[in-house]
This record gives sequence, structure tokens and C-alpha cells, in this order.
Amino acid sequence: MARSKGYPEALEKKLHDQRYFADESNPAFTKDVKTISRTIPQMCYQCGTCTGSCPSAPRSTYRIRKFMRRAVLGLENESLTDPDLWLCTTCYSCSDRCPRDILPTDTIMAMRNLAFKKDIVPVNFLKTVQAIYSSGHGVPNNDVNRAAREKIGLTRDPPTTHMYPEYIPAIRKILDHYKLKANADRIVKEREG
Amino acid sequence: MAEKKATTKKTETKKDTKKVAPVKDDVKKQAPAPAAKPKAAAAPAQVGSTIKQEPRIGVFVCHCGTNIAGSMDIPAVQEYASTLPGVEYVDNYQYMCSTPGQSKIDKAIHDHKLTGIVVAACSPRLHEPTFRTATKEGGLNPFRFEMANIREQNSWVHMHDREGSTDKAKDAVRIAVAKAKLLQDLYPKTVPVEKSAMVVGAGVAGMQAALDLAAAGIKTYLVEADTSIGGRMSQLDKTFPTLDCSQCILTPKMVDVGRDQNIELYTWSEIEAVEGYIGNFDVTIRKKARGVLTPKEAAARGIVGGGCNGCGDCDAVCPVVKPNDFEVGMKPRKAIYINHPQVVPLIYTIDFNSCIKCGLCVTACGSEKRAIDLESKDEFIKVKVGTAILATGYDIFPIEKKEEWGYKKYENVITSLEFERLICASGPTGGHLVRPSDGQTPKKVAFVLCAGSRDNTGTGKPYCSRFCCMYSLKHAHQIIEKIPGCVPYLFYMDIRSFGKMYEEFYYRIQDEGAKFIRGRVANILEDPKTKNLHVHADDTLLDRPIDLDVDLVVLAAAIQPKADTNRTRKLFGVSCSMDGWLLEAHPKLNPCGTTTAGVFLAGVCQAPKDIPDTVASAEGAASAASIPIHKGEVELEPYFASCIEERCAGCGMCVNLCPYSALSLVEKEGRKVMQVTEAKCKGCGTCGGFCPGGAIWMNHFTTPQIVAQIDAFLLGGEQ
Repeated sequence: MARSKGYPEALEKKLHDQRYFADESNPAFTKDVKTISRTIPQMCYQCGTCTGSCPSAPRSTYRIRKFMRRAVLGLENESLTDPDLWLCTTCYSCSDRCPRDILPTDTIMAMRNLAFKKDIVPVNFLKTVQAIYSSGHGVPNNDVNRAAREKIGLTRDPPTTHMYPEYIPAIRKILDHYKLKANADRIVKEREG
Repeated sequence: MAEKKATTKKTETKKDTKKVAPVKDDVKKQAPAPAAKPKAAAAPAQVGSTIKQEPRIGVFVCHCGTNIAGSMDIPAVQEYASTLPGVEYVDNYQYMCSTPGQSKIDKAIHDHKLTGIVVAACSPRLHEPTFRTATKEGGLNPFRFEMANIREQNSWVHMHDREGSTDKAKDAVRIAVAKAKLLQDLYPKTVPVEKSAMVVGAGVAGMQAALDLAAAGIKTYLVEADTSIGGRMSQLDKTFPTLDCSQCILTPKMVDVGRDQNIELYTWSEIEAVEGYIGNFDVTIRKKARGVLTPKEAAARGIVGGGCNGCGDCDAVCPVVKPNDFEVGMKPRKAIYINHPQVVPLIYTIDFNSCIKCGLCVTACGSEKRAIDLESKDEFIKVKVGTAILATGYDIFPIEKKEEWGYKKYENVITSLEFERLICASGPTGGHLVRPSDGQTPKKVAFVLCAGSRDNTGTGKPYCSRFCCMYSLKHAHQIIEKIPGCVPYLFYMDIRSFGKMYEEFYYRIQDEGAKFIRGRVANILEDPKTKNLHVHADDTLLDRPIDLDVDLVVLAAAIQPKADTNRTRKLFGVSCSMDGWLLEAHPKLNPCGTTTAGVFLAGVCQAPKDIPDTVASAEGAASAASIPIHKGEVELEPYFASCIEERCAGCGMCVNLCPYSALSLVEKEGRKVMQVTEAKCKGCGTCGGFCPGGAIWMNHFTTPQIVAQIDAFLLGGEQ
């Protein structure tokens, strides 16, 4: 690591050593991402079709191509600690168009998986887990929606756990099996007290 | 593996007790061999004498640098070979194919009176001819050589299993020695070669090949499926990197082809059937019904001074209008048409799929020329040629299959071939580049490179189409030159400017003001009002997504083999690689040859090539195709089947099985027996494997030889 040069913080950040070194690369990371994603991130030739297709890229700093590059090089820390990892909407446009037939979306999902194992996950994602646990929905129905549904001739609640709450225990069973709820609760508590 | 090891060990332990024992058995088994009988006159005494001789085999193990020696124990293989019965001499060398390596064989044959040679090295596809020559130089018949492949099928695939690969090499050597002991003298057959050649496809490759063959004094039949020669190159405006006009350099060649006394030109024709073999191909040409007589054809019908002179009177009166394929559908043509004014031959053609037979053209043509025959039919012409060159070329990949770029959905998205016609002075717009939607001159043009190339999705083509980078640079130059203020944007992944003066051309175009954006185009959307296009991509070098508003998009579409390639290649017995391009005999050392003797490849039908490479490959193919013709005769491998007449029951079952029509039944001494036309036989063994009476003897792959090999493998050399 570069030594502090005693500049103000903003400048210090700009002037820190930008290079990456061989020891940052973890070949096991490339392998793990490949195994979990069941796709071929190592075949990426960086054409940018993914970022060009990405609806998130024009309005955020999220660059799917960058994550593909990190997967190729095994830059584990850089991938998992980058908050952009959580900006993918999983629309699969990149996967549809990738000329190398890679599924970049699944690569991102694999990285999120690995990040979660290290407790690196934004709180809002964990709150989604809690919402699913309590209602069976990541985004539960609300009165505005209910009114809108009624207006177009639908039932107030969709035919999901909202209409059949008796199925919620089954969903909880799945989440409990993977300790997802317990981990979410624990991390939220650690962060928010 | 474990089982195989056990076999090897078994041999080693039993070798002492066996020593020279099996040799006599071999001689007995060999006894009924009639193989040499038909040849007896050509090979006096020697055959019989060597058969009765006890086999004395020399085994040479090649290191191939570290290719083989790096993954197995060469001394152990050599040591093992020396213990095999019948092996008289063993040696090893770093590169057996080198001069010192080959002279080892020569010397050992003399010093040790060897009767057979085994070289354990690479694939016979690579060096069998080399070592056959060495065997011949040592004074043995070249067919007394057998190769054990311990590289491609061993050291390269078992790189990390030293013990296993050594054991496998021992097996391979043992098997080869077993066959070498039973090898016989064989004499290649020579057949005369017809002093004429055929070239299929008259694009720049086919024309160049035909001109070269004709210049070498060879009668050449040039067959072209379209109505005119010239091919893709005649559709282009300028050529990179010199920027000379394509038509200006091509049309003189077209005229030369039309004029050459040694070239017999068949346009609007296809190959219908091919029979025969190198030196003697019988090719049937289908001359499609053209509806218009050439002056020669008119003369043959007794119409003096008649036939088409290209005046175009018929064109003027024809009421049927169709899109002109030569102009990629951007210009109309009539049902009676020529592609463009410079066509060779200058003979009109009737498109009978759209002709309504109104007869106006017949009247317009007049009673003197009488060139039009609305009732003309396909004609079949048979020619005999010694060799043939395929130069079938390419088509544009149907790029509308990549829906994200909107070709055929958005009017202002065109392909590069359409661009060539639009920018060409003789094209539909007289050389003015315009937007198809409104005829306006574009001010911003985006070029999409690798459109469908380097694409592994299954919808595109996995290969690089190889000339799109360079013609897109040329297009950028043409825009800057012709439309002041117009900016070309090139979306690229890599600029592959690999040829002579190509990188310099890239430098020049960049200097002229073309903008290069490193990023593949993700998708294109049309503004429905203005018909402008939004090109979306990632500027990977800036790491920012880009939305570029342009007037025109040019897709540098991938190329694929010409639609009819597959049918034509099958007629000539030529293989193709996975991507459909025709398969060369060797990608580096024999790029013009094919695995079918006497058939060669020129130009893009083998793989994407630019014009310089296409012409070079055509000249190479012409040179290769002229060799057998100038030599006057070719040697055929003596692997043909022969009939043991005493055993043949004359059932004739083999005759129908033979894929090469090489067998027939003949009357001999009052009964029917099978007879082989050796020049046609390819030695495939279909008949030999089938014959219920065991009456067919496959030279060089005889039943005793193969049984000995199997025994050597399974029983470890005991028989």
C-alpha cells in the first residue's frame, strides 16, 4: 500500500496507488464464480455489449463489463466490496446479447452469493428478505396498488400469499432451511443495532 | 490402463521362451497371398523371394525434440523394441525426419539386411511419405515401411502420464512390428492425366486460376452460376489500401477471360455431376436455360450473323420489372437483363421465373439477330478434365437475424455491400451516398464492425470475417472524401489491419478524421419521426455508455459460404470444416489442396480472404492443379483391392457395395468372377470386409496383417 502523503483527504484518495498487483488476484475466485454461475466468465473479450445494453449503466456507476473483467482476473476483494455489485436489476439484456454467449447476469448473481457469505450485503436487500419472510413478497401489496388493481377490474390482492396466507409457512420453511432469515436478522441488528 | 500394463508385462516375461518362434507361422499364413500375382511381371522374382525370407525388422524411435521424449521414456521403448521377435536392429534419434535421421534408416537397411522398417514417431499423415522415401533409398520397396504413432495419439494426449504413455508406445511399436513382418512389395499404378482443367466459380479467384492455367497451355473450363463473370469484386467500388477502382482493375481481367483461346466459359451454368478420379474426371455441366443465343449458338442454328450483341433493345421493351440482385435489390431490372454494362460475356439472360412470354423482346430483337428463344431448355454438357479447382466464394450472412441492429426493420440501417453499391459511380445513385428513408445525404454515419462475426451465440459466425475492418476504414475514407463535414464513427472491438500497408492505411484514416469507438454496438433504435438512429454501445476505453444519434448505420456483416457450396463440394468429394468453409489438405503446408486428389481450392470458399490473399491462393491452386497435367500421369497408392479368383463365387454382392463403382463381374474360364478397376479403387475395404468367401485381398491392409496386429495387441505378440 502507498504511504500517506499528508494531503487533504479528497486529494489523498485521488493520488493513492491505483495499480493492482498479482497478489490481489485469487484464481479460486474465478473458479468459484464459474462454478456458481454455471457460465463462462473467463471467455469475456471486453466488447462492452453488456454495458451498452444495461439499463442501469446510463444512470449509475454500475459497469457489468468491469465485473466480468474482475471475474477473469480473480479480483475478489474489488468485486465483492464494490457497492455497484448490487445495482444490477437482473433484466438479462446483457445475457441476451453477449456475443460470447456468457451470462453476465448470472456472474453477478454468483458474486452476490459469495459476498453474502462474507456478510457483505446492503441492508435494503436484507429487509427484502425480512419482507418475504413475513408476507411472502419482496414488495408487499399496499393500498395504492390495491386501489389500482380494483380500478382495472382485478381482485384487491393477487392470487399469491396475499390471497392465500396459509402458504406463508412453507416459504418460511425454505428461508429457514438456508438460514437466510436468521443471517439477515443478525446482520441488520449488527448494522442498525 | 491397468489391463494394458498387465499385457505388456506378460509379453516381457514370456519373451525368452518364445524368441523367433512365430516367424514360420507367419510365412504359412502369408502363403495364399495372391496380391503380387497380377503384378508378377512388373516385379520379377523379388516378391516371392522376400516373402520367404525371415523378417528382419528395424525399429527407429523418434524424440521429436521434447514433443515425444518429454512425456515418455524413449530408452525404455527402444529397449523393449529390441526384445520383440523379428526385430534385428533398434535405434533412436532426436528428429527422425531430418537428413541424419533418414540416413540412419538407409544405413541400417544396408548394414543389417533389413526387410522391414518401423518408425515410431508422429502421425503417418505427416511423415509417412518421408520415411517411405528413406526406405526406398535404402533399397527396400517403400511399402515395407510401417509407422507407429506415438505423438498425436500418445505423447500429446498423455502429457502428464509418463509411465502410461511409455507403456502405450511399447504397445504401438509391438503392433507395428507385427504388421511390418508381413508387409509385401507393392507397386503404385500410374494413370494418364487429361490435359484440361476445370474451375468452378468465376469471381476474381476463379478468373485468376483460369487465366493462369490457360497461360500454362491448359484447356480450362470455367463454370459460373451467375449470368456474368466477376463475382463479388465486380460489385465493389474501391479496393483497400491502395484505393484503386475495383472495376478498373477487374474488367480488363474479365475481358481477358472472355477472349482467351484456352478458356471455355460457361456462365449461367452449374455442375450437375462428377465422376472419375484425378486425371480423369467426367464432369457434367448444366447450362441453365438462358433464352438468349450467343452469336456462336446462333451460327450453329444456321442464323448467319445472328445472336445477342448486347444492344439492349429487348431490355427497353420488356414489361416485367424486378429488383436487380447485382445492385442488392436497390435498382430495377427487367425480366431480360444484364447485371451491369461491363458484363462478360455481353449476352442478355431471361429470368424465366418472372418472364410472361409476351414476345415483345423477340420482336424487338428482330429477324436478323433472332437471338431470343423463349422455349430454350437446360442443356447438359459432358467434359473430361484432369484436375479441378473450386472457387465458389461467399454470401453475406443474413444480418437481420441479429435483431438488435434492426436491419430490414429500420430503413437507414444498411449492409456494407449496399454501401459499396451506393458509393459506386455505376451504382443505383450514381455514387451519391443517400439515406434510403428520404434520399438525404447523411452527416453522421456509424459503422458496426464484427456484425455477426466473432459471435458464439449460434446466431452469428464464430470466425473473424477478416476483411470487414479494412473495408470499413475504406468506407470511412470515402465518406470523408465525398461528403464534406460528414463524420464516420467506427464501432470496433479490434482493428485487424494485418496486411501489407494496412496499418499505414488505418493511420491515414484516423488522421483524416474518422472517429473510432472501442465498443461493440449493443442495440440500435430508430426515431420514428426523423428515421435517425440511436446507436447504443459502451465506450470501453472511456468506461461510459454511449448513445450516438446518427443518420445512417452501415453493418459490416459477416460472410458465409455461398449457398450452393455444399452441393458442389459433395459432387467433388471435398469435405468442409465445422463452419462450412471447404477443408484444405493441410492448413499451413497444403492450403490449396484437398483430401480428394486432383481437386483444389481457390479464394474465399476455403476461408475468408481479402483480394490479395484470394488472388495469391488462386495462383497457388492453379499452379498445384497444373502439376499433374504437365507431368502427364499420376501415381495412385497401391492400396486397391484384388480378387482371389479361385475363391470368388461370382455372387456380385461386392459390386453393389463399392462406393466408387470400381468393381464389376467378368466372365473368366467359363465362370463369373469379380474384377477391380484399380484406378477407381480407393482401398476403402468395404468389399474386403463383406466378401462372404474371403476372396478379396486388400493390399497393404491384408487380413493376415490386420489379424497379426490384433494378436500383437491382445496377446502381446503371441500368435
